[in-house]
Amino acid sequence: MNTFKKNEKFAFLIFGIIFFPILFLVFTSFFSETESLVYVFENLLLDYSSSTFKLIIITSVFSLILGIIPAWYVSNFRFYGRSIIDVLLFLPLSIPTYIMAFTYAEILSFTGPLKIKADFLQLEILGIILSFSLFPYIYAVSRISFSLMGSKFINMGKILGLSVYKSFFKIIIPLSKPAIFSGLFLVIMEVLNEYGAVKYFGVNTYTIGIFRTWNSMNDTGAAIQLSSILLFIVAFLFFIEKKINKKKLFSYLKNSNPIELINSTINQKLLIYLACLIPIIFSFFIPVLFNISNVIDNFDKIDISNLLQLTINSVSISLISSIIILVVSVYFLFNERFSNSKIYFYINQFISLGYSIPGAVIALAIIIYFTSIDKNIDSINLLGNFYVYLFILIYAYLIRFMAVGKSPIKSGFEKLPKTYDLTAESLGLKRFKIFQKIYLPVNKLSFVSALILVFIDLMKELPIILILRPFNFDTLATQTYEFAIEEMLPLSSIYSLVIIFVCSILLIIFKNIISRINVSRS
Amino acid sequence: MFLEVKDLIKSYADNLPVLKKLNFQLQKGELLSFVGESGAGKSTFLKCLSGLEKIDGGEIILNGKIISSHNTFIPPQQRKISYVFQDYALFPHLNIRENICFNLDIKFNSNFDSVVSLTNLKSILNRYPHEISGGEQQRACIARSIIREPDLLLLDEPFSNLDSNIKHQVRDEICNIVKKTKTTTILVTHDINDALNISDKILVFKAGVVQQFSNPTTMYCKPANCYCAEILGDINKLSIGKKTFYIRPENIKIVKHSKLSMNAKKCFFQGKDYKIIGLYNNNIWSVFSKEPIKINSKVCFEYLEEDLIYFDKGCSNFFTE
Repeated sequence: MNTFKKNEKFAFLIFGIIFFPILFLVFTSFFSETESLVYVFENLLLDYSSSTFKLIIITSVFSLILGIIPAWYVSNFRFYGRSIIDVLLFLPLSIPTYIMAFTYAEILSFTGPLKIKADFLQLEILGIILSFSLFPYIYAVSRISFSLMGSKFINMGKILGLSVYKSFFKIIIPLSKPAIFSGLFLVIMEVLNEYGAVKYFGVNTYTIGIFRTWNSMNDTGAAIQLSSILLFIVAFLFFIEKKINKKKLFSYLKNSNPIELINSTINQKLLIYLACLIPIIFSFFIPVLFNISNVIDNFDKIDISNLLQLTINSVSISLISSIIILVVSVYFLFNERFSNSKIYFYINQFISLGYSIPGAVIALAIIIYFTSIDKNIDSINLLGNFYVYLFILIYAYLIRFMAVGKSPIKSGFEKLPKTYDLTAESLGLKRFKIFQKIYLPVNKLSFVSALILVFIDLMKELPIILILRPFNFDTLATQTYEFAIEEMLPLSSIYSLVIIFVCSILLIIFKNIISRINVSRS
Repeated sequence: MFLEVKDLIKSYADNLPVLKKLNFQLQKGELLSFVGESGAGKSTFLKCLSGLEKIDGGEIILNGKIISSHNTFIPPQQRKISYVFQDYALFPHLNIRENICFNLDIKFNSNFDSVVSLTNLKSILNRYPHEISGGEQQRACIARSIIREPDLLLLDEPFSNLDSNIKHQVRDEICNIVKKTKTTTILVTHDINDALNISDKILVFKAGVVQQFSNPTTMYCKPANCYCAEILGDINKLSIGKKTFYIRPENIKIVKHSKLSMNAKKCFFQGKDYKIIGLYNNNIWSVFSKEPIKINSKVCFEYLEEDLIYFDKGCSNFFTE
């Protein structure tokens, strides 16, 4: 019993250490003095709020359209190239939002191939461009939801007189609402987190506000208070998402019959290819081809050694962070499984909130936290050290991306019946041995997929690394951003392409792993 | 005839026919039990009737109208057929009232009160499917089906998910409802007791072929072949001269003295009596006894000749064509 309590105390301590900077930020916001906050509130807050809100609405609507319709066709209809299209519809996830935005900004600019002047529609265009990068979140959850639903409800709809299309609106969409909303929640969080693209398009969102008050106005107090406002918005959305997803509990019970694919007619085929290929072309092929063409045009200007160094930097920092994130996530989830105490459950819930907190807020929280340590203890100068910066960078990643690593592991653990644990314990195995002998081999694919997902997110991540990277430490993401900001977009293409290439390969591996997990489970 | 199924053939991709020239007819308001083992093709048959599957040969005529044939296919939306799936398929996002009225033609709205009262659902109309019991879900599915006054009601193993203590009650309720509404019904089941208790007709089905189609009494007393005889309960085999006969254990009487005897190998207590398994002329027999019998003791018995069952066509195999 004592060991139990000790374990819980230790877990709570680790959790407290990880999330303390966020609590510190909220706490500080009540006491921070600010000169420009009144100015920000009177002049900018309305602009930040309305721009953020508009951007969320436009991105969400387009992400829903681009995600749900292809997911419906791929899940329900038989057509040539279905499996390849299914993979291709995931691939835009490999293109970071800021690269998508830089690419389309260039394509649409006076110097680009289309030469469209659309300065007056910056926010609207940015919303559509962001949806090109983010719709796969909706596609992925809808696809899973439509497949899990099986044919039972669709057949019932037919018997009760509904056409295939009416079934879609009257049965499929209402039943998939919790899943679609969780995808939409991710899209909204990504928009709130976005920095590179909104900065490039000059759209004033909350994140821009935080950067501006902090860097340009040099008013940390205002930045802290803006961050706190953003945190409350995010917490509110997170609460709504949890509430809606409670309905998941009854949505897919007992649907054991797999979907029977419908043979499509010629007209349907036309619609299917249109609905599936438009997102693939605009979200993947155009940006990739445009960047390839930039690379070919500027091949002689590529600094190969710099490219290699930045690739090593990106891969190593992403890999180290991913492994640490995986270990900590597994630690909390495994203990939740075995502990009777609710503490692990709440810790894991809080970890899920981490992904909702915009990177800029996390970075700010950590900087403030470490600055206050530096201020209060005269003998140390933490922020003057390269390795401390590396450490706090990984620290920030841990806060934000544990949720990403957690979900595949959690779903893997949930598939293991509790009787496995009881049997192993009755056979005399201790916790660590149970993990080593049962959980590790059974869930190895879940662990690999968690590692891949986190790694992809870290490769693409921008706001945190922009703020927290050590001096003279660049990655592919920061280099892409810097070239873009300095109006040298063609030179950034090679860095973008490396990110896209690495993430695409990993996404394809991830998709294969998921198929293997599904096959082994069925 | 209200429902005619003529030479119905259905094959899947591997070209092995699941249904081989299926034939039967039903009168309006009759309840047919379609009996067969798991995987025999019972659900496929229901899907062919409902239009969820196309047929490969033959004809289905409902209420004087061809609904499936080699050149006709009425889609499920236009057939007046209701289907109750094994796992209910109540829409989880709708409450019971909304489920019952889902996509309901306005002309059937007036049936609502009577159907709800018949199915005894009034108190749970505002609840969601996950908030009610299996039996209530079953009744809600029936209500959703019969409110549309279907020409044909299909029930696919509707009692298989119910606990045995409520199963009989639900079964009797459903039987009452379909009889009161005079709904022609096909019940697919693998439980012969369900079929014997509530059906007007029973169709025994194996290897894609109808083994017997008759009323329950004929089915039990005059099974068409060994398979039909066996699925209706235990049956013992005996040879008299060159002929092979069969007899049900309940028609064998245990007596103190008789020319006929067998060696008891096992004795099971079944509540109301004991089941004795023994060897008679190298065939395994079962008989019932009011008293327990010692293993390896001699059991004398007798029977009436009229209780012997003889199959003209022999009984080494069931019908395959």
